[in-house]
Amino acid sequence: MPVITGTENRLTPDAVQAVTFPSARLGRRGFDEEHVRAFCGQVERELVRLFNERTSLADEVQRLRRRVLGLSGDDGANGYQQDDAHVQAVRILSNAQKTADRYVADAQEYSRQLAQDARRRRDEILAEAKSHAAMMLEDSHGEASRAAEAALAAPVSEPGGDRRELEAELAYLRTFSDVYRTHLHAYLDALLRNVEEWERAEKTSLAAARASLPRIPHSAPPDPQSPPPTG
Amino acid sequence: MDTARLKESFKRVAMHGDEVALFFYSDLFLRHPETRDLFPVSMAAQRDRLLQALATIVADVENTGRFTAFLQALGRDHRKFGTLAGHYEPVGASLLATLAHFSGPDWTPELAADWQTAYSLVAKIMSDAAAEDERVNPAFWEATVLSHEMRTFDTAVFRVVTLDPLSYQPGQSVAIECDLRPRIWRFYSMANAPREDGTMEFHVRMIDGGALSPALARGLAPGSRLRLGPPVGALTLAPGSARNVLLVAASTGLAPLKAIAGQIAEFTDPPQVHLFVGADHAEGLYDLPDLEKLSADAPWLTITPCVSADPDYPGERGMLPDVVARSGSWADHDAYLAGPTPVVEAMADRLASLGVAPGQIHVEDFGWSEPCP
Repeated sequence: MPVITGTENRLTPDAVQAVTFPSARLGRRGFDEEHVRAFCGQVERELVRLFNERTSLADEVQRLRRRVLGLSGDDGANGYQQDDAHVQAVRILSNAQKTADRYVADAQEYSRQLAQDARRRRDEILAEAKSHAAMMLEDSHGEASRAAEAALAAPVSEPGGDRRELEAELAYLRTFSDVYRTHLHAYLDALLRNVEEWERAEKTSLAAARASLPRIPHSAPPDPQSPPPTG
Repeated sequence: MDTARLKESFKRVAMHGDEVALFFYSDLFLRHPETRDLFPVSMAAQRDRLLQALATIVADVENTGRFTAFLQALGRDHRKFGTLAGHYEPVGASLLATLAHFSGPDWTPELAADWQTAYSLVAKIMSDAAAEDERVNPAFWEATVLSHEMRTFDTAVFRVVTLDPLSYQPGQSVAIECDLRPRIWRFYSMANAPREDGTMEFHVRMIDGGALSPALARGLAPGSRLRLGPPVGALTLAPGSARNVLLVAASTGLAPLKAIAGQIAEFTDPPQVHLFVGADHAEGLYDLPDLEKLSADAPWLTITPCVSADPDYPGERGMLPDVVARSGSWADHDAYLAGPTPVVEAMADRLASLGVAPGQIHVEDFGWSEPCP
């Protein structure tokens, strides 16, 4: 049995939120916990909504009852109307606040996604650069070693082993620096091209974003259908 | 005052969830528009906090000790938000109007009188504690940023000085607010023991989509103004303990532990201190040069940086609990842990399994005011 805290037999949103289920015995199939949690959340929200609907219906009944009393010649009618106006104002302000909350939450979620994407891209770029650097080193070393071997094997006009070795080392270093420089050139060129592309893309996307900025309506309520900003 | 009736009434009202707090704040702002300025633009987190506080108060209404302690802390805590003695009455009126609205036909004169009595008691304890605190402390401390540096692309270290002296225990934190994000307060730990010149160092790592941390990490510059709340926190050096000390810091959890290490540095006969600093990558060890300076003329201090997600890192590699576990035996140490909650919990579990007594493991208890992202 699920464990529901609370003393009464009426199910409350709180109780739904705090409900715990024992886990299925090992080897037996159970429901996915995430799904159960999500469903409980849905039930909780629905319960809250129903309670609130009930309250506003009760309000409405009260209001109508008062009106009937007011019409029957009572002098308290004015006071009741003022009360009504205040509750209406509270509702309007509450809705405005909820809209503001949603805009802030959307903006925060958007910035969270952007920052996460940027972080992931950064890690990818770093990893790529690292492996590229390793590849460049390996390639340069390989070619330089072959050049050094060739220098060692080459016939010499003058005798002397020292000189032969020095020449091999020279060949290694020269080749290494040549190959490495060529790689570096290619890499930097690619980077420059990237930066140019980026600048171009930014210019066009900024222009597009400006053109599509919504004009704020004066009295229309916010459109609940409009999706949060993406991309 | 019939406490059972109060609890029953609150339970019924609380069924309406968020709508209760929404109604309360709208009612308050309509009747007293000047109070709106005390709150941030988005009220979602604020409403949750109000409902939680109300639930705690109602649940503890018979437990006088806990009830009073909670409300006294709440009253002192509200000073930095700009709450004045004069605010308690309008808040009470709006609270009663809210309870009446959601109680519907259940709202009887007796119930109204009970709630009025209960609120008067709450308001008295809170405002008395605030008045008491006012004799000793300012509502908040004005601070000016002296220096600000990005140590990695998402971690900044900044130094501030306060106008009035702010005394605290190394390891404690203060809530910070800045003009870039008005009315949004988050807790940060001082990264140094109190100094003669009153300067303090803070470490901040940007939380993706965070409410305040991106502004502090990227938006501050020398001269920026901050407001600091009163120091809080129990992650402080156990008084009179003769044991050696283990400090385990993940990410910017380093700040409070660096302050504790700084405090020990002043001792004439310091215990042996082993500080582990963990990060995903080597560049996340954003404060190593400073730590090395601290340990340079401190034979009592050993620092072990470790990195969890870089197989090429030349030093200690692995998750903090594993590295700490294989680096020594800690059963006779006082351990202080700070960092993201999952890391701290994993570390505390590991130390317990290594035989460190629960009383020797110190972590921050954020309680009801845990900073949310």
